[in-house]
Amino acid sequence: MAVSQSDGERELAELIVTALNLEGVLPEEIDPEAPLFKTGLGLDSIDALELALEISKRYGFQLRSDDENNVHIFASLRSLAQHIAQHRVN
Amino acid sequence: MTQLPPVHVEGVAFWTAQLPDWQTARAVIRGESLPPQARIARPTPALLAPTERRRAPDTVAVALEVGMRACEAAGQDPAMLAAVFASTHGDLAISDYLCATLAATPALISPTRFHNSVHNAAAGYWSIGTKAHAPYTALSASVHTFGNGLLEAATQALSAGQPVLYVAFDAEARGALASMAPSRGLLGVAVVLGVETPAKPSRRLTLTVAPCDTPRPTSARSPAASLVAHNALAPCLPFFEALADPSPRALVLTLGEQLELQVGLQ
Amino acid sequence: MHFQPLVVSAYTLCTAAGDGRAATLHALRERRGGLRRNDFSHSPLETWIGRIAGLEHQPLPAHLAAWECRNNRLAWRGLLTDGFLAAVAAARKRYGAHRIAVVLGTSTSSIGASEEAYRRLEPDGSYPPDLRRPIVHTPHSLGDFVQHALQLHGLCVTVATACSSSAKVFAQAERLLRAGLADAAVVGGVDTLCGSVLFGFNSLELVSPEPCRPFDAERRGINLGEAAGFALLEREPARGPRFIGYGESSDAHHMSAPHPEGLGARMALEQALARSGMQPQDVDYLNLHGTASLRNDEVEARLVAEIFPAGVFASSTKGWTGHTLGAAGIVEAAITLLALEHGILPGTLNTRRLDAACGPQIRCENSAGEVRRAMSFSFGFGGSNCVLAFAREAQA
Repeated sequence: MAVSQSDGERELAELIVTALNLEGVLPEEIDPEAPLFKTGLGLDSIDALELALEISKRYGFQLRSDDENNVHIFASLRSLAQHIAQHRVN
Repeated sequence: MTQLPPVHVEGVAFWTAQLPDWQTARAVIRGESLPPQARIARPTPALLAPTERRRAPDTVAVALEVGMRACEAAGQDPAMLAAVFASTHGDLAISDYLCATLAATPALISPTRFHNSVHNAAAGYWSIGTKAHAPYTALSASVHTFGNGLLEAATQALSAGQPVLYVAFDAEARGALASMAPSRGLLGVAVVLGVETPAKPSRRLTLTVAPCDTPRPTSARSPAASLVAHNALAPCLPFFEALADPSPRALVLTLGEQLELQVGLQ
Repeated sequence: MHFQPLVVSAYTLCTAAGDGRAATLHALRERRGGLRRNDFSHSPLETWIGRIAGLEHQPLPAHLAAWECRNNRLAWRGLLTDGFLAAVAAARKRYGAHRIAVVLGTSTSSIGASEEAYRRLEPDGSYPPDLRRPIVHTPHSLGDFVQHALQLHGLCVTVATACSSSAKVFAQAERLLRAGLADAAVVGGVDTLCGSVLFGFNSLELVSPEPCRPFDAERRGINLGEAAGFALLEREPARGPRFIGYGESSDAHHMSAPHPEGLGARMALEQALARSGMQPQDVDYLNLHGTASLRNDEVEARLVAEIFPAGVFASSTKGWTGHTLGAAGIVEAAITLLALEHGILPGTLNTRRLDAACGPQIRCENSAGEVRRAMSFSFGFGGSNCVLAFAREAQA
């Protein structure tokens, strides 16, 4: 499947696959617009916390679990990469 | 001295890097074949859904592997069995990770590794993977862990009149903790203990708890001994050596500093 | 051979709310909890904790120094409370040191000692000399210490099934006695505050920045606490309240979240009712798990509302003690025994407005009355559930 990822999306895709030990998923094959949770990559609430931790380590800012925009921020690889691009410190 | 009524060993399983199943382990214990050169890093916890499988540490992988194989050998549905899980040290790699991270950057503890750090992680994943609502327990008794777990499994089987799965495992120590809780390699063993005479041939197991001044546990002496000697669960090996020998055997495991478990296998 | 009721011939507890039965009873009656702002962790963490005062200045006696660590200090303090040590010594004379089993629960045992070693490793990366004691760096540290401290030589295991640990020890001990492997058993559990649990539960966003409010509509999570508790179980003719049943089950659902319909909890409860020969209306008091986590309390409240009649008095006492994890089972069993013996019905401290999921059973305010039969619920990570049932002595 050929999908078009930006550089930021590709970097984030690699972080997700590594941090969550996703089996049989190649970073370059994650559709940037597909849902990350439940139906998409099959991630759950623990994965969200793990991902938030890895993002804070890599990009130097905190994702807050009580942020009411989380549904949008974590909707897809694209939305999450955009949020990181706007808030990253590192 | 207290002797329990006999139970039956309905199924046996064994896993370590060079002896990745009971068939192979039994042949090596009997001296019928040499240990394979190939070393398998860890078994695949095929029982788990992808979400749990990718999170499962080595301890969980090996516990689930031997648990499944023992149930298969016994012809028992794992979902129906109560289970006893025993491990001397639990997941030493995670303990090392937690201690090292807490010393450096405590706020950066991984939630996944933390929830895998509980001593009952393997038991918890087992119940999730097999959909077993029957109770499990998870225990530890330092160098006496294997014998105490075996006794608890037999006690549970006799008390409920139902078969019980017994799984024991220990893993490789990491970091500074390895100097205090030494353990090398990954080792998992399991038996299903039943109370009714099974249809197929099985071994009858009689356990006797005996006070003593100093326990004199049976030493491992088979060619498999050197493959598990440095794992914290190594004291289990004489029991599996006896199981590998089809003739009646007696052996001693330790239960405490002044308590031994006399094991009869018919 | 079926379950045989046992006598709780001695019991004690030490929590942030107080040392021993009398102090606990007083704290319950006066509604004076033991929670305080977190001053334990070496890095700041905004939460409240149930910390035991003074442990830092209470080293173990010289003959037990090999087991030195915070968790075993708290165990020792528990053994010295309410005459428990003397009660076990008397039992040792009656039965012999080989005939008394030690079955104790903990979640993290003395991992605090390993954490400390990692904070002050030698320049070559090795352990500091004072912490080169292997027994305190393994989960059985607790059971091994208590067995030595009590000079017992019978069966001894440490059970670690997270927050159900020191409830499940009652069930295991009953089976050991029934099988004839012991004549009496010391059960209980100890857990102490440490970085692993404070920062671990924080990583799961389960700790509350304010005093915990079990079953409150606006609850914000748990407060971690530390505690020790012990009970001596014997057969008749020993005197004391009765341990009349237990139920154990697995959720088979998720490592760190309860089954959404409380399936495992319900199975454990139904088993405990059946084993103790009780109907739901026979129960006078329920000490709930009630951690103040969002998920646990919702599931547990619905279960209680569904199973029990309105007249049953149910509460969580974690507002007094915090969630003491592997010690929660024995702490709450001991509070349940206090309810049976003294007719106190503790409410739910700190809770202002009950969650809509709560039925009339769950109470905020204290009450008093005859308590003949009572139950205590414990549910843990890994989906491990245990429910214990007790009865007043006269109700044997």
